[in-house]
Amino acid sequence: QIGFSLSQCHPFCHQTQVRPLHGSGCGQQQEAIGMETRPETFSIFRTQENDPACQSEQHLGQYYTVPPSHFHTVFPHGLPPRYQQQVKTFNEGCVMVRQPALELISHLKRADYSKPTLRYLLYGVKGSGKTMSLCHTVHYCSTQGWLVLHIPDAHLWVKNCKELLPSSYHASRFDQPIQASNWLRNFRTTNEHFLSKIKLRQRYVWTKRESTEEGRPLGELVDMGVSRVKSSSDVVGAVLKELRLQAGGTEGGFRLAVAVDGVNGLWGRTTLKKEDKSPVAPEELTLVHNLRKMINNDWCGGAVIATLSQTGSLYAPSSAYLPQELLGEEGFDSMDPFVPVPVSLYSEKEFESCYLYYLDHIHFHHWLQHPHSQTEEGKKELIFLSNRNPSVLERLCAFL
Amino acid sequence: MAASLTGLLKPWTPRVLLVRWSRYNPYYLEPEPRKEVYHIPETELTPEQKEERELKSVRPIKAATNSVTSSVFNDPVLSKFVNMMMKDGDKIIAKGIITQTLENMKRKQVEKYHKAPEGKKAETECNPYAIFHQALENCKPVIGLASIQKGGKFYQVPIPLTDDRRRFLAMKWMITECRDNKHRRTLMYEKLSQELLAAFSKEGNVVKRKHELHKMAESNRAYAHYRWW
Repeated sequence: QIGFSLSQCHPFCHQTQVRPLHGSGCGQQQEAIGMETRPETFSIFRTQENDPACQSEQHLGQYYTVPPSHFHTVFPHGLPPRYQQQVKTFNEGCVMVRQPALELISHLKRADYSKPTLRYLLYGVKGSGKTMSLCHTVHYCSTQGWLVLHIPDAHLWVKNCKELLPSSYHASRFDQPIQASNWLRNFRTTNEHFLSKIKLRQRYVWTKRESTEEGRPLGELVDMGVSRVKSSSDVVGAVLKELRLQAGGTEGGFRLAVAVDGVNGLWGRTTLKKEDKSPVAPEELTLVHNLRKMINNDWCGGAVIATLSQTGSLYAPSSAYLPQELLGEEGFDSMDPFVPVPVSLYSEKEFESCYLYYLDHIHFHHWLQHPHSQTEEGKKELIFLSNRNPSVLERLCAFL
Repeated sequence: MAASLTGLLKPWTPRVLLVRWSRYNPYYLEPEPRKEVYHIPETELTPEQKEERELKSVRPIKAATNSVTSSVFNDPVLSKFVNMMMKDGDKIIAKGIITQTLENMKRKQVEKYHKAPEGKKAETECNPYAIFHQALENCKPVIGLASIQKGGKFYQVPIPLTDDRRRFLAMKWMITECRDNKHRRTLMYEKLSQELLAAFSKEGNVVKRKHELHKMAESNRAYAHYRWW
């Protein structure tokens, strides 16, 4: 396992783009020449190690760039909206290597995949970087060739649903066609290469005239779910079941990573109502029901990485961030036992790194524009105003 | 002043009263929010500053308003603009709109910077504060009109404007233009950022309104002698 990942990191090390810190006149010239020039000085806040498998404690606090070719396949959904705006403005996606993500990746490297799945839960105060750590881990899983099941926000499935159809498969459950078909489309983008390799082990009957036979590739099932929106929730259920059965398999086995953001939305209450105005419980939604089965640790050959989120959550106080408070009794009992991974605010070193990244002139971000923000006084004020909270700092630097 | 009021305090009177907009006795001095003034060591003070310090240790000082900060990012012109945008005393919303406007302007300019060819890169201004100040300068009218009555008729007479009046007019035009003449569904920060960027490059409706005012003043120069001040 370790040998495999080392041999994979060498091609990345040589192919990454290298830019010097102090450009001045020769900076533009070097960029015109190409990528082969080595830097005379090194960046304190950037690292050339773009492969998550090769990152270690020495890279803590440094930013690595997600290669642009990977970006749209690995993250069609799942990134926080402000980060997506930042990527569009800066023309590059840089992620900071932080302690929680490195810890998760080291657990994933050393876990035994013949045993039942381990569940990891990222928790922390609002804005401390849980979703970004999750995305870092998802990038690692996808570079290692795992099949990634990334649910960008479980809260989106329990609120604001315009169309709630009664399920054809089970009388008392409800389907959500729009959400299910959107998710299937993004799933298809992420895992293109797996869709033809995995074959179905069971026959699925959709209507009197339509069925998907045993042995057909998974891609066909997903395409059907995207085109026939009415049965897309059931298709999601079928896809999850197939992946669960085949994940630990010895012949052509793949590792399955289930990454759920805002997992506390699966237990608790929903804001959806039935036609007689009575509230819908989460169990009565097909998507939630199937996802809960996925999060159980009764299958092997993969990992479940989850994040708590107060931001989109329903009926939870804004000061709540601990697993016990956000998951509730039922959720905690279902998730138990799990590996808790706390995500803290920026340390001093991480803050420095973030500040230097926003101040970076060489990559021509020109982000921190206010003349006073580039002084010591301004930096102390930024520390005071943001309390080193990553998202608050990002919002402050956006208008300064 | 405060000593006379304590006798009249009842249990239901709030302990914290608004005093800033009440008329202070001229004996009271203005507060000094800037940090640099307090960091000057004893030896480097000029005689006036020494006198001022001694005076401050004796005299009472007025309460500072809520909008005064010792922050390095404090900008009096921007604060004035925020106050003019504010409706019903809701400064949080007004400040939020202005910060979103600044961010939006910065994003547009940074994207323009990345797309610009090498020669033009240095010319694109990415600092939203610089753009805001320059845009406001470009909107300020040089000369104004006043309605003066002479012989039963009212004439529009060109008059000089003070700096404060010019700044007020520029801000007022900017805000009314964004509120009235734009598409209903665009948000205020989007409208403001478009208008400010246009004013920065001397295009747009606000600059047009300034030019029209100048033209009116030019056409009415015959009546300039009706002004007696």
